[in-house]
Amino acid sequence: MRSVPAPGLELHGLSKRYGNLQAVRDLSFDVRPGEVFGFVGSNGAGKTTTMRIVLGTLLADVGDVLWAGKRIDFEVRRHIGYMPEERGLYPKMHVGEQLVYLAQLHGLSETAGLQSANRWLERLQLAARAKDDVQKLSHGNQQRVQLAAALVFDPIMLILDEPFAGLDPEAVDSMSEVLRERAVAGIPVVFSSHQLDLVERLCDRVAIIQNGHLVACDSVDALRARGPVRLWVDAPAAPKGWAARLPGAHVIRTDGTRVLLELAGSTDDQTVLRAALATGPVHEFRRDVPSLLDIFREAMTEGRVAAAS
Amino acid sequence: MLRLPDREDFQNFFLIARREFVTRIRSRFFQFGTLILVVALAGYIVLQAEVISKATSTVKVGFVGPAQSLAQPLQAAAASSGLTVQVHDVSSVGAGEAQVRDGTLDALVSGQPTGPDVAVKDKLDPTVEATLDGLVKETVLNQAIAQAGGDPSTILAQVARAGIHLVQLDANATRRTQSTVVGLFVAILLYTALTLYGQFVAAGVVEEKSNRIVEILLSTVRPRQLLLGKVVGIGLVGFLQLAVLGVVAVVTATRTHAISLPSVTVEAVVAGLVWFVLGFFLYALMFAAAGSLVSRQEDLASVTTPITLIIVGTYLAFFYAAANPDAPVTIALSIIPPFAPVLMAARIATGDAQAWQVAVAVVLTLIEIVALNALAARIYENSVLRVGSRVKLLEALRGGT
Repeated sequence: MRSVPAPGLELHGLSKRYGNLQAVRDLSFDVRPGEVFGFVGSNGAGKTTTMRIVLGTLLADVGDVLWAGKRIDFEVRRHIGYMPEERGLYPKMHVGEQLVYLAQLHGLSETAGLQSANRWLERLQLAARAKDDVQKLSHGNQQRVQLAAALVFDPIMLILDEPFAGLDPEAVDSMSEVLRERAVAGIPVVFSSHQLDLVERLCDRVAIIQNGHLVACDSVDALRARGPVRLWVDAPAAPKGWAARLPGAHVIRTDGTRVLLELAGSTDDQTVLRAALATGPVHEFRRDVPSLLDIFREAMTEGRVAAAS
Repeated sequence: MLRLPDREDFQNFFLIARREFVTRIRSRFFQFGTLILVVALAGYIVLQAEVISKATSTVKVGFVGPAQSLAQPLQAAAASSGLTVQVHDVSSVGAGEAQVRDGTLDALVSGQPTGPDVAVKDKLDPTVEATLDGLVKETVLNQAIAQAGGDPSTILAQVARAGIHLVQLDANATRRTQSTVVGLFVAILLYTALTLYGQFVAAGVVEEKSNRIVEILLSTVRPRQLLLGKVVGIGLVGFLQLAVLGVVAVVTATRTHAISLPSVTVEAVVAGLVWFVLGFFLYALMFAAAGSLVSRQEDLASVTTPITLIIVGTYLAFFYAAANPDAPVTIALSIIPPFAPVLMAARIATGDAQAWQVAVAVVLTLIEIVALNALAARIYENSVLRVGSRVKLLEALRGGT
C-alpha cells in the first residue's frame, strides 16, 4: 500500500462562479490520510463542483488545492480514484477489458492492470461478469464496476460522488466495507451522499456545505456535541410545569410525562437530575444526542438565516 | 502553458487509439459493412466487364453462296483486332435476311467474294465492315495480280510492310473515359468514408460526454491526447476499410479486364488512400470539436451538418471538375484545403492533376490541419466537460467556463 505524507488533501479558499451562480464560495477544509470523509449538502450545494476542481476537470476562479503540502498537479491527480456522480463507463465494452484499459491509462502495465482488475472483480463479486458488456449489468453491479474502476490502479486517494445512490442494503454494506478498508490502508477517502445515517456510521469527519459554502466541518461526535445540551427527563410524579420553573433550562417539547429540556451553557445536568429526583421517581434521564440529520437540518436553517441577514 | 508531450502522453495516446481501433474493428457493423461493400464493389466491376465484353466482342455473321469463302479470313482477321466473329451458314438470302431482321444475325453476306452484298438491320460493326472491305479488296487484288502474271504472296507481303505512321495527338483519349469512371469512384468512396468516419468521431465524442466517462478519462489523460487518440484510432479503421476496398478494386478490375490500364486503378487507389488520411484529419478534427459542443446524440446533427455540407460540396464539385478538367476554377478548388481531399484525389485518378498542383494542395492541407488542430483542441477542451444545453461556438473558443 502507498503511504501518504501527513497532510493529505487541503482546500484553501476555493471559489467558482458559473455566470450568475456562485457555485462554490471561499471553501476550505482538509482531508487526512486514513480517514473517511463525508461531504454533505443539498442538491446544487456545490459538492460536485468542488470534487471536479480537486480532480482538475474544472478550474477554480480563486483558491488552491494542496496535496501533501504542495499545490496539486496533473501527476498527483492521475493517481486519484474518482467516481463521478453520473456514471461514466463505456456501455458496450467488456467489464474486464474496461478495467484493464482504465488501469493502463493511469499508468499500470497491461499485466499489472489485468491482475488488479481480476483482484477487484473477485473482491466485488463480479468475476463471473468480466466478459459481459457493461450495459448488460444491473444498476447495482454497474456501480460496483464503477467503484472497481476507481480502485483498479491503486489510487492515492478516493473521491466518490454519491457512490451509494440507488444501491440495495447489501451492496451498501459491501461498498462501505471497501471504503473503510481503503482508509485503514492509509489513503484519504472522500465521498458525498444524501444518506446521512450512512455518513454518520461510516465517516470519521464530515463537511456540510450549503450554497457553495462550508457550514460545518468536524468529526461526527464533535458535530453532535456542538450546540446546547438537551436532556430527556421522565419524572411522572412531578407537578405540572415543574420543569418550566427550573433555572438555566427551558422546555423544548413535552411528550406525556416526559420533557425535553435544553440547558443553558452554564447549567450542570446534575442539578437538573437532583431537581427531578426531588419530585419523586425518575424513570428516564438521558442526554438527547442529535443525529447527523438533525445537525444537517439545523445547519441548513442557520445557513439560511445567516444568508438572509 | 506550453509543454511538450512526454512518454506517458504517447502511451496514453496509443492506448486510446488502440481502444477505438480494436472495439470498432470487432463490431459487427464494421465486419458486415466491409463485407457488403467488398461484394458490391467487386460485383459492380465484374458486371461492368461483362457489359463491355458483350457490347464489343461478338458479331454473328451469316454467309450464303460463294461469299462463304470470306468466312474463315474474316474470322481470323477480326480475331486479331480482338473481335469474335461467329460464322453461320445460311441456306438462302431470304432466310438470312429474315434472321438479320429478327436479330439472330448481325449481318448477312451473299453474292460473289469480289463484291458481296452485306445486309444489316441498320448498321454494321465498324471493325467488321473495315475488315470485310479489306478482304474483298485483297481478293480482287489477288485475282488482278495473278492475271497480270505476278506472285500475289510476294506483292502482298510488300504491301503489308508499307503502312502509315501513327501520330497520337490525344494519347489519353481512351484512358480518359475509363479514368473518369475511376475518378468518380474515388470521389464517391472518399466522400462517403470521410462523412461516415467523421460522424463516428463526433458520435464517439458525444458518447463519452453523455455517459460522463470523459470525467474519468480527463482526470488522467490530457484533452488533446484523448482527442487525437480518438481521431487516429477511428481514422485507422476507415483507412483499413478503404485499403481493403482498393485492393479488391485493383484485383477484380485487372482480372476481369474491366479496365485495360491497371496503372490507372493503382494510382487512383494510392491517391485515394493518401487523401483519405489528409482529408480525415481535416474533417475529423472539425467533427470532434462540433461533437464536443452537444451532450446528446440527438443534438449531433445540428452541429455536424455544416461540415457534412462542405464535404457534399466537394463531391458535387467533382462533376464540374470532370467536365472541365483544366478550368482555373477546377484547379483552384482542388488546391484549397476544404475541397482538396476529395477533388484532388479524384483529379489524380482522372490523370488531370499536375505534380505542382498536388504538392501545393498537400502543403496547404497540412497547414490547415495544424491550424485546425489547435482550434479544435481548444473548442474540445473548453466544452467537453460542459454537460447540458449546447455550448455556443464563441464561448467554446473563448474558454473560461
